[in-house]
Amino acid sequence: MDLAVEGLGHRYGGTEVLRDISLEIPAGRILCVVGPSGCGKSTLLRMIGGLERPSAGRVVQIGEAPATSLNPLTFVFQDFALLPWRSVAGNVSLVLEDNALPRARRDAIIADVLARTRLSDFAHALPRQLSGGMKQRVAIARALAVDPAVLLMDEPLSALDAQTRELLMEDLIGLWSRTPFTAIYVTHNLAEAVRLGHRIAVLSRRPGQVREVVEIDMPLADRQAGDPELEAVQARLWDLMRDEARAADAELLDG
Amino acid sequence: MTLTRRHTLGLLGATAATGLAAPAIAQNTPLKVGALRFTSHSPSFIALEKGLFADAGLDVELVFFEAAQPMALAIASGDVDYAMTAISGGLINLARKGAIRVIGGGLSEEEGIDGQKILVSDAAMQAGIDAPSKLDGKRWGVTQAGSSFHYMGSKIAQAEGISLEFTPLQKVPAVIGALKSGQIDGWSIVPHIAKPLAGSGAVHIVGDVADYLPGYQVTTLFTSAANAENRSQTEAFLGAFGQGVTDYNSTMIDQSGGQDGVDAMVDLIHKYVYTDRERERAAPSIINGTMRINEGAALNLASVRDQLEWFQSENLIDASITIEDLVDTTYVETVG
Amino acid sequence: MADATDSHGSKPPRTDAAASREIRFRGGGFRPQSNRWAGIAVFIVLIALVEIGLRQGWISALTLPRPSAVGATLWQLWESGNLTRHLFPSLSRLAVGGAMGALAGIAIGVAIGLFGLARAGLVPLVAAIFPIPKIALLPLFVIWFGIGEGSKYALIALGTFTPTVVATFGAVDNVDRTLIRMGQSFGLTWWSIVRKIVLPGAMPGILSGLRVSLAIAIILLVAAEMLGAQAGIGAYILEAGSLYDLDRLFAGVVILSALGVTLSWAMGLLEKRVLRWRA
Repeated sequence: MDLAVEGLGHRYGGTEVLRDISLEIPAGRILCVVGPSGCGKSTLLRMIGGLERPSAGRVVQIGEAPATSLNPLTFVFQDFALLPWRSVAGNVSLVLEDNALPRARRDAIIADVLARTRLSDFAHALPRQLSGGMKQRVAIARALAVDPAVLLMDEPLSALDAQTRELLMEDLIGLWSRTPFTAIYVTHNLAEAVRLGHRIAVLSRRPGQVREVVEIDMPLADRQAGDPELEAVQARLWDLMRDEARAADAELLDG
Repeated sequence: MTLTRRHTLGLLGATAATGLAAPAIAQNTPLKVGALRFTSHSPSFIALEKGLFADAGLDVELVFFEAAQPMALAIASGDVDYAMTAISGGLINLARKGAIRVIGGGLSEEEGIDGQKILVSDAAMQAGIDAPSKLDGKRWGVTQAGSSFHYMGSKIAQAEGISLEFTPLQKVPAVIGALKSGQIDGWSIVPHIAKPLAGSGAVHIVGDVADYLPGYQVTTLFTSAANAENRSQTEAFLGAFGQGVTDYNSTMIDQSGGQDGVDAMVDLIHKYVYTDRERERAAPSIINGTMRINEGAALNLASVRDQLEWFQSENLIDASITIEDLVDTTYVETVG
Repeated sequence: MADATDSHGSKPPRTDAAASREIRFRGGGFRPQSNRWAGIAVFIVLIALVEIGLRQGWISALTLPRPSAVGATLWQLWESGNLTRHLFPSLSRLAVGGAMGALAGIAIGVAIGLFGLARAGLVPLVAAIFPIPKIALLPLFVIWFGIGEGSKYALIALGTFTPTVVATFGAVDNVDRTLIRMGQSFGLTWWSIVRKIVLPGAMPGILSGLRVSLAIAIILLVAAEMLGAQAGIGAYILEAGSLYDLDRLFAGVVILSALGVTLSWAMGLLEKRVLRWRA
């Protein structure tokens, strides 16, 4: 199943936040969306996921989602959005409970995704007992449990410290290498974008427009921190973004 | 004032007749007398208005209460010196602590004189309850456990061999409301409240308390233990109060002053009772509420003893309390 | 880097020089240490003072009952079985009235928290009901629900209803919206979101509201038993008051206090169980 964004625009009251966005998201690939803060990239993601209605344009699904997918468009949030009163297993179970699955099948899915995110030993722990990185791994496990056609990731690593971010990136790459998934990955961190994105869409400042889409051919598994080729792409992205970011910053200050 | 003075002079003989010597107390002894705005408290109003208290050397101030219970507490706390109310469990318990003593009698149930009525609600009447004997298992309104209503209901039930469900409602207006709306089935109350209620058709009179409790000492005069020790002052109070009783009974019941006498007395009482109504509308209620008050504040000791024993049998008061703890019999004539 | 080498060197710290002295500690304080014995000691001393004062006569027997007599009265109540005779109806009134008020309050509170129409329509109504002294409505309830248990349940229910509503819709408002969006993003049904996200998220607020409601319920219990109750702790206290029987009055008050403490403790236990997920 592929996704396509066609001529999407949006305004909040008098403020135009997104203008004429068109993107293609082919199956099995990760599209990163980068841009200066306030450019509407999170809004764009929520519209792709059906949590917000655009003022103009539309998001189209091309082809059917696999029958096994319980929730084709699945979010991973920046602040994890775990229920603090449910255990790790309980948080995963939450998103399965509304589907008429036999109990044994549900338990099997939970065990599987916890194993894939290396959380099996913490199945009964409560969120408050977990570190930030573990919490996000629970959120990822929860997203994987519904076998999504597309993962919509909204700055999933922004709330974490640098080391944890590095570890989690490796985890994500590992997960994708074993079973490639489709994802739209919103971030303001260019290092993340060049590590995880097959293609990177750069948005301008408000109103957000697609400045450029950069392709990176290097396989995800081969990408290492400090790789010169990636550094070059990152520098180019930064060139594209620097003025926009500065202008956006001034705009915010003018407020 | 001159009229009052003349009247007082005419009553001087009556004072001598009660056998109380001229009290040897200082003039203008300040005194607080507790009262309810009921016609049964008229002797106090008369004694004040006609200067009987002043002549006895007492400078009386009336203190009004909404219910009998706080009056007993006010006596115990020393805020009020003398008062008249029904004997209740609370009053006896205060007496036991040495705080108050009964020194005389007020209202009694007496044969041939209109006394307290037994009422049933309209709903109960519709259900065929037209006599106290048919109230078995029904709700009987009381203000509080250990109140005179509780005593009367219990005595009636005992005499009829029935059982009543005693329902505490705290205040007389609440009992009236509950009876009118049929929430309770039976109650007993003084005639000047019973008759207008029955007249409205919302409740029905089905008997007299006097048939079950002949000689029932409904209200008593009481004071603090300290005042009871002060013989000259208490005698002075009882003397003036007794004159008020005589004046009330002779004018209102024996009609010794004819219709003019009754009218003048109604005027006097209306200053204190039913003050929220104009005289024309208050007068029938005041006249309807006329009850004979014991001459010389005589006390039916047998009735008081029966009440005391009933409270003890109901476990409302301590079994060790004796009639001597409660009553000082040295002031007035006692019966039984 | 040079500094770092220095401080990690083998030189002993300088303590001999005249200029060096230890930094004076100036934190601490403002953190009362809890001492359960102090509370108990205050109780014991007060009770002992009252007992001695009454025995010696420097406290009038009219003002206070002897603590020993109150104790004896409590023992008699227990031994004669009258304690259960009074406690059972009171507890059942508390349970039935309180449960009705709390459940209705939670339901209405959640509705106000979730639906704009309910909020617009019901918040002013609740605000209007809240400040009414419910005791004043007792005669009305007697007419509506009868003088039996109905009016007592109604009084306690209304008294617990309003604070529960206010606490509940406040708690629902405070539920983390991102959790609700998360539920929607996973395609959870409306009912699942209410049951599994909104209600548990609002639970801390609802429970602290229930604490207040329970205290109000106990206060209203005495009021409810003013009209037409022959048994019950409130009726027992009112009867003792009208009899001016201080021993029984205080015995009743002690039972009410004990009831309050027990219920508060039970609420604490419930909170600990239900809110185990909090730190």
